[in-house]
Amino acid sequence: MENTALNAEYRPRTGSEAMCEALLDEGVEYLFGYPGGAIMPFYDALPDYPLKHVLVRHEQAAAHAADGYARATGRVGVCVATSGPGATNLVTGLATAQMDSVPIVAITGQVGRPALGKDSFQETNVMGMTLPFTKHSFLVEDPEDLYPTMRRAFEIARSGRPGPVLVDVPKDVQFAACEHNGYRRLREVPQSVASPALEAAAALLRKARRPIILAGHGVTLSGAEMELRLLAERTGTPVVTTLLGISAFPEDHPLYIGWPGMHGAASVNRAIDKSDLLFAVGMRFDDRITGAAHKFAPNAKIVHIDVDPSELGKVVRPTVGIAADAKRALRGVLAHFEDAEDREDTRAPWRAEIEKSQAPEKERVEGARDDYGPIRILNAIKSVAGPEARVVTDVGQHQMWAAKFFGFTKKNSHITSGGLGTMGFALPAAMGVALAYPDEPVWVVAGDGGFQMNLQELATIRDLGLNIKVAVLNNGYLGMVRQWQQFFHNRRYSETPITGPDYERFAAAYGLGGRTVREGDDVEEAVKWAQETPGCTILDFHIDPEANVYPMIPSGMSVHEMIEEDGA
Amino acid sequence: MAPREAAPATPTTSTALHPIEARISGGMLALNRFLMTLQNKRMPVARFTVGRDGGALRATILLDCPPDQARRYAALLSGLEDLEGLEEAGETMEVALLKTSGDGWRESATGSGVAVHEEGGTVVASGEPEAMDAWLALVGDYVQDVVRLGPVARPGNGGG
Repeated sequence: MENTALNAEYRPRTGSEAMCEALLDEGVEYLFGYPGGAIMPFYDALPDYPLKHVLVRHEQAAAHAADGYARATGRVGVCVATSGPGATNLVTGLATAQMDSVPIVAITGQVGRPALGKDSFQETNVMGMTLPFTKHSFLVEDPEDLYPTMRRAFEIARSGRPGPVLVDVPKDVQFAACEHNGYRRLREVPQSVASPALEAAAALLRKARRPIILAGHGVTLSGAEMELRLLAERTGTPVVTTLLGISAFPEDHPLYIGWPGMHGAASVNRAIDKSDLLFAVGMRFDDRITGAAHKFAPNAKIVHIDVDPSELGKVVRPTVGIAADAKRALRGVLAHFEDAEDREDTRAPWRAEIEKSQAPEKERVEGARDDYGPIRILNAIKSVAGPEARVVTDVGQHQMWAAKFFGFTKKNSHITSGGLGTMGFALPAAMGVALAYPDEPVWVVAGDGGFQMNLQELATIRDLGLNIKVAVLNNGYLGMVRQWQQFFHNRRYSETPITGPDYERFAAAYGLGGRTVREGDDVEEAVKWAQETPGCTILDFHIDPEANVYPMIPSGMSVHEMIEEDGA
Repeated sequence: MAPREAAPATPTTSTALHPIEARISGGMLALNRFLMTLQNKRMPVARFTVGRDGGALRATILLDCPPDQARRYAALLSGLEDLEGLEEAGETMEVALLKTSGDGWRESATGSGVAVHEEGGTVVASGEPEAMDAWLALVGDYVQDVVRLGPVARPGNGGG
């Protein structure tokens, strides 16, 4: 009898197949990409593997979608593009991920090895141009290196301070035969946190009369939400979060007081100004938080915990600096507060002082609840979508309003581009979030400027049947820039008025639902309609063109130069 | 020929120069990344040298900043994947090439903290910047011309 197995023709794997296998071995479920000449061999291999590819309509969207997926899940997001313009289109997405420490692996095709350096068709130095925006990058010139390099890329992306990693693969390397190399995953030895540092941090926290815990994105990246909550509760310490730390601590918790910084609550900025200890974890004292760094928290000692040692002392000099993963460090500090429940609550007067200072702000927000505008719109979304909703915001005034007024209580439910502030981020990022959590409500809150930057992805959303709901806060301006022009350029609205389509009809052109909402319309009913209509729906909220975000600390200034709303 | 005036003293900021040595694997791409990081983070690089070290590259930089900043920059660089090793080198040194007249300079070299030897009619002196300042001031009468190189880091292991 003929032994067909022995007679089977042996065919070595190609580089593309090795890439696909590496992705599978890394547990990748989704790739977001756009094919082209230099990545064609990879795309030819792809259908033979159980990897789900999402065809976007612009490579930037691929990077943002991978980013959104990574932020929502904590896993490494993957995007794919061809060489030349495909690769250059990824750059903004990579920079967005780099600034917010998001783990993604970007795979780019490249011209064949003999053509490199000859200004070949669609050749760009993608390694060179992404050097500042990637944690690391590889140009794989030996097919045998492809599999281990791909695996290594994932390790680098997710380890330590996460970030984007690029793998550039020449076309002929994708075609070339290669043996399946094994890969030995490097065993990441958890860093131990020095006991004296933890003890010193705990001692400072115990001694402080007006402490504040300042929690950033690192808490979410580390999965340290529980440890943060325990520490706050055991020490009775008020908690503030950075923009990216929002939803790391439930906003309906009595110890949560808000978020600080350029557009943060005035009461929170003042509390920081008065505090005698800032216990900062997983945040980097970004200039949007500190304003003038030399005037920031002038009376406070600082404990700074961050996984990246180079962040310690970069902006503010910590009294105690701890280079460690947030979860590990917080557990170490918690160990010093086992008996805190027996201690007298010495922070009660401090908390009462903050609460009293926040009363006027809360009254103002309460008073505006029924007025047509961002507060009412966001409350309606929260009420209708429920506590399981995840909100992806774009960049601008609406981003600040969402951060201030939505009231995030679910862990990791607030997704936004913080460090780079990338307009056009929200819609593609929401694709990644919705694919990660198909059974949970996902809302995009965007301005009419940013929404137009990547609205080609409505086609992708429609094709996938994603249940993303979009609220466009449409004021006919690049609103945040207009606000600055109003305050600092004598209302010279240079190139900030912006037009757009009729979004209701635009949605229909994509086969999606849409409605226009104006003052006087029933906001709650519109939101309910959007939520209950299957598939993607767009609500075009026409809002006050000159509504402003308050308060505002002008760039480079301090809390003492804060611009507040009239009557504040 | 009248002897030249003593060479100007090393600027006092030389005491704030912090040498860092790094061994970089990965060729030009890795060096590119290293340089981009120096530039991207606006590190105050006073001096930069790079050379081959076996199969790797060894880069030496002198950072003109306070010690805690230098440590922070070292921490940042040490996070680069291409680095095989990094160490904060201990000392900086200067090299001076002198054209001398007479022999009066020989005696003062002993005990000055400056090592000297002659090479093809040129006196080569090396030592820490402050020691070099002091010795050159002492031998000024015997120096016709001087070229000062550095400060540079005293070679270490690059953290390897």
